[in-house]
Amino acid sequence: MLSGKGFKNVYNLSGGIRAWNNEIAVGPSDLGLHLFSGKESTEETIIVGFGLEQGLREFYLDMANRVVSAEAKSLFTKLADIEILHQEHLFKLYQDITGTTVSMEDFSTGTVQPAMEGGLSTKEYLNLYNPDLESEQDILSLALSIEAQALDLYQRAADNSPDDNSRKILQQIANEERAHMKRLAHYLDTI
Amino acid sequence: MKWKQFFTPVSNITGDKARQLVAEKDPGEVVYLDVRQPKEYKISHIPGSKLIPIGELDRRLDELDPDVPTIVY
Repeated sequence: MLSGKGFKNVYNLSGGIRAWNNEIAVGPSDLGLHLFSGKESTEETIIVGFGLEQGLREFYLDMANRVVSAEAKSLFTKLADIEILHQEHLFKLYQDITGTTVSMEDFSTGTVQPAMEGGLSTKEYLNLYNPDLESEQDILSLALSIEAQALDLYQRAADNSPDDNSRKILQQIANEERAHMKRLAHYLDTI
Repeated sequence: MKWKQFFTPVSNITGDKARQLVAEKDPGEVVYLDVRQPKEYKISHIPGSKLIPIGELDRRLDELDPDVPTIVY
């Protein structure tokens, strides 16, 4: 149908989703979209994104406190630290757009409500993937799954956003999640 | 009837090649299009893919860019 309608490069994924041996996302197409009504300004979109990164950081830190092995603790802490990088980038965007002089800490505590990335709660993630939290491999697989879910949410929110600037920001955050997934997958291959 | 559409070849692509294609392009320059039913999408889908069930595709084509490579499943 598409190729007959002027679409130049259409590919059929061999074997469909059953043959897809990579990360997947779950849930309906509106999962988590309550966080993005589609009416947000660019600034508000950044604030929601920042809150999602904060939520995931808190999740990883909570996990770091729960696990016993030093390796697992260290890995969860590293994952939490990566979220700071995402937050710094979002805060820089916020500063560029608003010209605010507020510190990132004040921005974080005063403006942002933490939420969990990808639209699922931490309990739902743990139930869904049932990881062995002491296993580095399982921890990385869990992180990869969460990032896949987050990428999926940001992409859907970008698709739904009628505002060009907000859509660009959401697309940019989705791209960062893609890059993050690539690094996690590489790390997973090395252990 | 547009007979052309029945004879326009569509390439097959493996999952690995699809990932490679996405990695080579700038983000947003390749689209994964899920044409299954919402129930199937809910169970699992490729992260970042766009859901347009096959039965709705002809009237929702304006949501897609014909110049962007599209991987359909």
